[in-house]
Amino acid sequence: MTRTQLLLRLLLKAAWVRKDRAFTALVSVAVVATIATAALTIYSDLESKLSREFRGFGANIVVTKNSGALTAGELAGIHKIVGNGGEVMPVAYAVASLQDGGAKVIVGGTNLEKLRRMNTSWSFEDRNDGGALVGARVAESVSHGGSWQIAYGHAISSITPHAVFHSGSDDDSRVYIPLEDFVRLTGVQPNTALVRVEGRPQEIQAAIANLSAALPGIEVKPVRQITQAQTAVVGKTRSVVLASSAVVVVLIMLCMVATFTGSVLERRKDFAVMKALGASNRTVNFLFASESALLALTGSIAGYILGCGIAFWIGKANFDAAILPQPLLLVPVLLGSVALALIASTAPLRLLQQIQPAGILRGE
Amino acid sequence: MFLRLLFESFRRQKRRKSVALLAIALGMSIATAMIAVGNDIGDKINQELRSLGANLVITPIEDTLDVNIGGVNLKPASEGAFINEQDLIKIKSIFWGHNIKGYAPFLSDQVSIVRPDRNIPVEIIGTYFNQSLRYGNETFVTGVRTINPWWQVEGEWPPDYADWPQDRPPAVLAGSRLATENHLRVGDILVMHSHIFRISGVLNTGGSEDGAIVAPLHLVQALMGKPNAVRRVIVSALTKPEDAFARKDPSKLSPADLERWSCSPYANSIAYQLREVLPNARVEQIRQVEQNQGKVLSRVSGLMLLLTLAALLAAALAVSAAMAATILERRQEVGLMKSLGAGNTAVASLFLTEAAFLALTGGIIGFIAGAILAHRIGQSIFGSAIVVHPVVLAVVLFAAVLVTFVGSAGAVRKAMQFEPAVVLRGDA
Repeated sequence: MTRTQLLLRLLLKAAWVRKDRAFTALVSVAVVATIATAALTIYSDLESKLSREFRGFGANIVVTKNSGALTAGELAGIHKIVGNGGEVMPVAYAVASLQDGGAKVIVGGTNLEKLRRMNTSWSFEDRNDGGALVGARVAESVSHGGSWQIAYGHAISSITPHAVFHSGSDDDSRVYIPLEDFVRLTGVQPNTALVRVEGRPQEIQAAIANLSAALPGIEVKPVRQITQAQTAVVGKTRSVVLASSAVVVVLIMLCMVATFTGSVLERRKDFAVMKALGASNRTVNFLFASESALLALTGSIAGYILGCGIAFWIGKANFDAAILPQPLLLVPVLLGSVALALIASTAPLRLLQQIQPAGILRGE
Repeated sequence: MFLRLLFESFRRQKRRKSVALLAIALGMSIATAMIAVGNDIGDKINQELRSLGANLVITPIEDTLDVNIGGVNLKPASEGAFINEQDLIKIKSIFWGHNIKGYAPFLSDQVSIVRPDRNIPVEIIGTYFNQSLRYGNETFVTGVRTINPWWQVEGEWPPDYADWPQDRPPAVLAGSRLATENHLRVGDILVMHSHIFRISGVLNTGGSEDGAIVAPLHLVQALMGKPNAVRRVIVSALTKPEDAFARKDPSKLSPADLERWSCSPYANSIAYQLREVLPNARVEQIRQVEQNQGKVLSRVSGLMLLLTLAALLAAALAVSAAMAATILERRQEVGLMKSLGAGNTAVASLFLTEAAFLALTGGIIGFIAGAILAHRIGQSIFGSAIVVHPVVLAVVLFAAVLVTFVGSAGAVRKAMQFEPAVVLRGDA
């Protein structure tokens, strides 16, 4: 039997004969690897997952041209920077008057589908097949449900509500009609575009910088209350997840080290027998270390797979989108677990080496 | 005899017991810290979300439509209805008054800034900046500085004058766009409505206020000759995310359900209570803020709940493994006890009593350590402490006993299955 074969046999026998001991050690390493993998995987994806939740706040950038309307070229430039994930909604406003009573009302012209997509938080009550989205306060002031007319200068347009919306903002006093109808009524083209850029706070900042650079002479302003809240909430949540994960991982690691150290100290007789049979300190250290490394490797692979599964499931359950495994984490998790196990198993051996084997065997 | 066995076991196996105790204490501090953080995260993030600004708006029912275009209010100040400023303090009197983080009234008018070369038409907006108010015995400070934290002032915020100051021209803020376009600077003197004002700061909000003059509410009321008039009030309230029950119409609820509905801080129920104290006002959710913050809040709370569950499970497994490991090593002891005539019940009760003792001690140490950790996390991230509820101690102690029993029971059973002679020979 070669040295390697003997070593392998010793390792396998040690695990097989004391299955319970090997199993508890395996569980404690697997728990550390699982929780570390799950926490780190969630942490690495948290910023983009949480940023997605700010989509519902609607436009986070307002682009306004102070002189004249936005040209098709300028709008194409905005689309290009915002990309497919975002939304660009050109909008124009004019003051019209209600034919019924003559009160002034703001009319907005835009793509109504986009308006609904941008403002998912508004509540819409569908009315009939008309083409206008009517603010709740306007709907209240025109008490009858059917069509009514608005006047802009000498031009008159008939408004049939498609839906009445509640927003809780100035929009409740407005009527939105399709942009073509608006241009026909007023002859005014949009000079404002409401833009929603999706992404992490720094990506939104980058989009603002790019828009300002690409559109000289046009005002590009972030809707600061939204960008600021997003930065604060995403940043603080990340910090909490990081801090609590760090606490959990460090404490569980200590727990695992305690278990490992304890079980090595319990094996003082094994140690003494080996020494009495002539094994050198190096050989014994090597044997104990290989045993721990093998257990740690197996436990951490199982833990990595389980941790990825937990992160995936948490993503699905909480964000309705899976948090995918991070292959880059595999090596640090494996190396970290093995290193910890080695420290936990070889440190107590130093203590044992100071005692004579005969003393241990006598039970002292 | 039993007590002596127990005592000697702890006295003679100090190292083994301290390993188990350490493992339990570590596991339980994880449990305490995670439960405390997970439980408090909702409140903490809710506070952060207040930086989105107000989530409720109050307007007079009789008011005409707002005519606001490109950030300019075109509605004549004489038109429409007003809310009485004196009534606003009632906002704090509702059942959920403590959840009202603040409110800010607004009143605006069109004025002209008289310059030597020309007149500049501009909107003047009156509001509270940092107004100190008294409700009962309580004094609280409210205004746009707390409600709209994204408003930035270069220079100084004006004071909230109670009356027109006589000694020097009253301070106002100039919006950043207005200031740039008209070369206005901090310290400049303005003449509006034949009154003299001083620009104490330049305001940047990213919104329509950038093109206006923002002044203390009482100055604008005096300027318009409308004492106590307020056109609109925004309210920032801590609310619970809306669910199906929150959307129910309170007028159609049974008395018991109405009570349950009113006793939940939904935006709808706070709005309902505000309408009761301000009968001539319309109270609406600012849906962009209210609806979305609820979503964000439930995502963050949900994430922490799941992470807490995962951490608790991990801690339970780690503690169980540690307990099992310490007991498995004691099979010779079990063999010796059994060969001396001890029954399975006696052996099991000795081991489980030891485990219970370790669990309670480890649980208390872990609770203290976990509470300190949670406190530190709260202080360093949110700048306010995370308070650990005393009931968590009971939960943690119960969990500690349960987990150590589960960890020990399997190992004790296993140790007792062997024949004493086999164990003592060292063959098991």
